[in-house]
Amino acid sequence: MTSRQLLIRDLLVLFGLSGWALALPGIASDFVLSMALTCMMYVVLSSSWAMFCGTTRYLSLATAAFFGLGAYSSALLLGNMPWWQVIVVGALVAASVAVLMGAAVLHLRGTYFAVLTFGMTELIRHAITYYEKSVTGTVGRVLMVVPDREVVYLTMVLLAVLAVATSIIIRRTRFGLAMVGIGADEQRAQTLGVNTRVIKITGFALTAAFAGAVGAAMSVRWTYIDPHTVFNPFIGFQTVLIALIGGAMTLWGPLIAAIVFSLLAETLRLQVPQLYMMSLGLLLILSVLYLPGGLASLRVETFKGWWTDTRQWWQSQRYRWSGDKARDEARARQRAKERRDA
Amino acid sequence: MSLIAWIELIASGLITGGIYALVALGLNLQYGLMRILNIAHGEFLMVGAFITWMVQTQFGFSPLAMLPLSFLLLLALGVSVHWLCFKRLTVTSPNLDVFEARGLMVAFGLMFLVQNFVSYVWGGDLRGYDYLSEPVRFGEIQFAGNKLLVFGLSLLFSIVLIVLLRMTLLGKGVRALMQSPVGAQLVGIDTQRLHPLMFGIGLGLSGIAGCLLSMAYTISPSMGEPYTVTALIVITLGGFGSMGGALAGGLLLGVIEAVGMHFTNPSLKALLSYVVFISVLLLRPEGLFARKKRKA
Repeated sequence: MTSRQLLIRDLLVLFGLSGWALALPGIASDFVLSMALTCMMYVVLSSSWAMFCGTTRYLSLATAAFFGLGAYSSALLLGNMPWWQVIVVGALVAASVAVLMGAAVLHLRGTYFAVLTFGMTELIRHAITYYEKSVTGTVGRVLMVVPDREVVYLTMVLLAVLAVATSIIIRRTRFGLAMVGIGADEQRAQTLGVNTRVIKITGFALTAAFAGAVGAAMSVRWTYIDPHTVFNPFIGFQTVLIALIGGAMTLWGPLIAAIVFSLLAETLRLQVPQLYMMSLGLLLILSVLYLPGGLASLRVETFKGWWTDTRQWWQSQRYRWSGDKARDEARARQRAKERRDA
Repeated sequence: MSLIAWIELIASGLITGGIYALVALGLNLQYGLMRILNIAHGEFLMVGAFITWMVQTQFGFSPLAMLPLSFLLLLALGVSVHWLCFKRLTVTSPNLDVFEARGLMVAFGLMFLVQNFVSYVWGGDLRGYDYLSEPVRFGEIQFAGNKLLVFGLSLLFSIVLIVLLRMTLLGKGVRALMQSPVGAQLVGIDTQRLHPLMFGIGLGLSGIAGCLLSMAYTISPSMGEPYTVTALIVITLGGFGSMGGALAGGLLLGVIEAVGMHFTNPSLKALLSYVVFISVLLLRPEGLFARKKRKA
């Protein structure tokens, strides 16, 4: 397919999916709707994560921080501002924190970056907990005025469509290409005239803006928020997990994985929460080991590859266990000895 | 503040610092040697603590007798985890950067797996047992006996490890691998055997730390994570891959926390350690005690 056909295909798929999402409130039960809401939350988080972190290979664990910042700004502003402004402010707060954070840490690569973003998330969480405890005297906040369920749902659909559309578009711009270049080889990208610092900070802020907007939109669902729930590092981990299992370099991978995971979460988590988390961990390990490109890279050839690999492994094991290997080695030694003697 | 209060404060900081050092040494061994940033390290500490608690309450073994046992158990676990996961990763990763990122992800998976397995099997309650909890007096200063024992033993094991790495041929091989993996292989050091062993020893150390912790503190399935974070802080303080640095960093962090908590507020403890961590990483990413070193 040419690039133009790909664009049309992607846009059509997105159009179809958003149609389904919009039709859902008419046909589905409350349970399904709340599941769809969680699903869309992770679609936005992991697609926007993959947009920056997947292409540049900067593994950020700070999603929880941006999510929490969005949620908190929504909790503070909800009474005084119209709904859409609350969302925008949530996104802006998260993005500006991301610019500061990015300016401080984006010159570090790899593990250092991952660990530092995690540390900063925890720092923000503890700082807000401390502030709430000692200054305002409460731990959490209650959200008094919340918008309708319909409004929240539509906002989330809009955000999800926006997130996927942004990553469709960005892949085709110079900005997106520059990010891919940074991921492939940062020094080379620099040599070729990419202003890596600006690109990285902008990309990071964009990711953060989406996470902040989702945080602002989702906070009304809980009606009571405290730092422990909205800054839960697990939100960040799960985002990364979903993006990686789906395929961080791909467009649709995070979306597919987000859908799979929210289904899995709702079915398993209610009965045996630990089992859900365990399968999450196991899936992550397996996908990193055997499917580094993610679910989206799964093709018929992948299965064939696994099949031949297993067969080869089994053949080599059989060769060893049956004693043939030992026999052949002994023969080779014997022959070498004869040659030396002769 | 009187002199005795100061001494007590610093000593209590050193006691927690001893545990920090022991946990950090294991993590440092894994990161320095194999570039595996094992986020699941604290979870294995928790496993060690739970095994000790279970054997102690079920069969009445002394926790001291459990020290070698939990070391060996976790050593075996570590070797098998390495064999199952990291061996394949080493083969399939195109370069060290990719290996590090993937290793981190695998460790995340292990963290979820182990933590939830334990809470599935034993439940999420706080648990503990009494062991040597009567105070010991030195003049006017007094400590709980178990904490003193924990400190002594963790210091002992840390020093034993460091001495082993300095003195023995095995230790020489390990240090050579830390300096230059390719060079070490060229002079005939068997990475295929050393890597699993050292990964196992790192986990074994966390098993010992868990065993020691369960003597003095209550345990729960979520106890591991703070220790992982602390260990990360400690190895950044001491410098990635530096063993003496990890020991000094652990003790230092313990004292910083104790003093900081005394003068400010106990709920600031976590905040304080993160501030230390981030400022060290940003200002001196090569560690506080590092001399001029090659860039990692």
